[in-house]
Amino acid sequence: MANAMQPAKYDAPNAVVQATQPGMSEDWLAVCIGLLVFILSLGLLSGFDLLGWAVTTSVWMVPAKALVPVAKSYAKLPAAISLLATYGFFLIVLLLGALAMRTSVKRFAIGVTAIFALSYACWFLGSWAYIAATPDKRQGFGINWSLNLTNESGFIIALLSGLIFGNFLPGVVQRFKEAIRPELYIKSAIVILGGFLGITALDQRQLASAMLFQGLCAIVCAYLIFWPIVYYVARRYFGFSREWAAPLASGISICGVSAAIATGSAIRARPVVPVMVSSLVVIFSVVELLILPFAAQHYLFSQPMVAGAWMGLAVKTDGAAVASGAITDALVRAKALAASGIHFQPNWTLGVATTVKVFIDIFIGVWAFVLAWVWSAKIERREGEKVRAGQIWQRFPKFILGYVATFLIVLALGALAPALVPKIKASMGEANVFRGIFFVMTFFAIGAVSNFRKLWQEGIAKLAAVYLLCLFGYIIWVGLLISWLFFHGMLPPVVKG
Amino acid sequence: MPEPHLTDEMRRMESEYEPLLPIENKLIWYTFGIGLVLLVALVLVSWLLA
Repeated sequence: MANAMQPAKYDAPNAVVQATQPGMSEDWLAVCIGLLVFILSLGLLSGFDLLGWAVTTSVWMVPAKALVPVAKSYAKLPAAISLLATYGFFLIVLLLGALAMRTSVKRFAIGVTAIFALSYACWFLGSWAYIAATPDKRQGFGINWSLNLTNESGFIIALLSGLIFGNFLPGVVQRFKEAIRPELYIKSAIVILGGFLGITALDQRQLASAMLFQGLCAIVCAYLIFWPIVYYVARRYFGFSREWAAPLASGISICGVSAAIATGSAIRARPVVPVMVSSLVVIFSVVELLILPFAAQHYLFSQPMVAGAWMGLAVKTDGAAVASGAITDALVRAKALAASGIHFQPNWTLGVATTVKVFIDIFIGVWAFVLAWVWSAKIERREGEKVRAGQIWQRFPKFILGYVATFLIVLALGALAPALVPKIKASMGEANVFRGIFFVMTFFAIGAVSNFRKLWQEGIAKLAAVYLLCLFGYIIWVGLLISWLFFHGMLPPVVKG
Repeated sequence: MPEPHLTDEMRRMESEYEPLLPIENKLIWYTFGIGLVLLVALVLVSWLLA
């Protein structure tokens, strides 16, 4: 293994590769894509249904009845055309994105096509009534059992399929590597999600404000309690150098890939350090994604907001954290309904997970700035070098601007023109179809970039050991405690009837 | 510039251990302390506001 430190091309997460490439960043591209879908969906407010043709998948027993256009005004459109139109929309938008990112358009087109097809197939399979139907719906489908996983189980199937491709068919993955961009897909989805959560919050403004405040409190504490202990363990007990320990601590304790990259550049680590840390982050976030939502379903079904905050604090990388929030949302609601007969309103668990993650992302720039100052002024004194406050903006994850914008626009529209609320709800419902597809593509892409063979790579054991110990021995439990302290007793509204 | 081998990198770290500097200790324990104090304070504030 002569070049163990030189990751194979698809081993380095695209977010890492992107940091050194010219062209538009994934962050800004996600803002553009998310806002485009959001603005098109608002066409409904002026009487123009611009996205109603998008395909949606219902829980099914008869496959032919599963796919329908999202809007009733397009009810006569054949499902196959609706699906093709949706694929065409994704292809065109993402190809324009590829042009903006100055990446190979042809390879990107092949990749998007493959990922869309495989992801949608997983979504479709996950909507099969025997897998997805909740107990209250079984009778309607004429079945007497089901796995009760809701149609979000398509996410898990997509993740497992991605893992199979990433680990057993690396040659195939290499062919559509250009389009395996979980961060781009999830960030676009998060921008769209802003509007959807805005409309949810509109009905429950007090609960939404409390959620924002508690989320902010939770992440300030988590940052300051997680990072120093992980850094100390890596330095004191595992003997890591400062160059390795700082990105490792940020990767494990804060927000995975972005934090490892930001910290790496703040302390002037060699580029290979955050790349190696990021590879581990992705692998372990998949492990968390497969375990934590089910643990939350089992133990926290009566506290959905605690479960959501826990996902946001414990699961690393934006993609995996928000994705686990989505699965947890579905699993917890299904269990609460089955066990206690309580039908919680959807999306609050996902909302908390996203809010917590977004706050974490905002603070990455601040923390990187603090570390850059400590390193340049105290640890590795560099004469005449000043740390500029502008670096905070430079490292600020820009997709958050899109998320905040869509959230506030919907809140403002709803507050200023209450008569428009039903139309806003309908338009966000249409945008949400695209959010769902971006989500399922994220799951597939996360699986495809998670190369578990890396764990067998010579020399990785020590990195993996510190990761494993800190994540499963400290972060997860302290994250749960903090989530419990701030969100215990705060419950989503209950659906009546 | 060729990238170093990960195994060599780990061996080098073992043989050339960088001891924790006082400033690192300060960074670690001050940050952790502030985190704990803020946790208690913010939990109290959020319970009072609830």
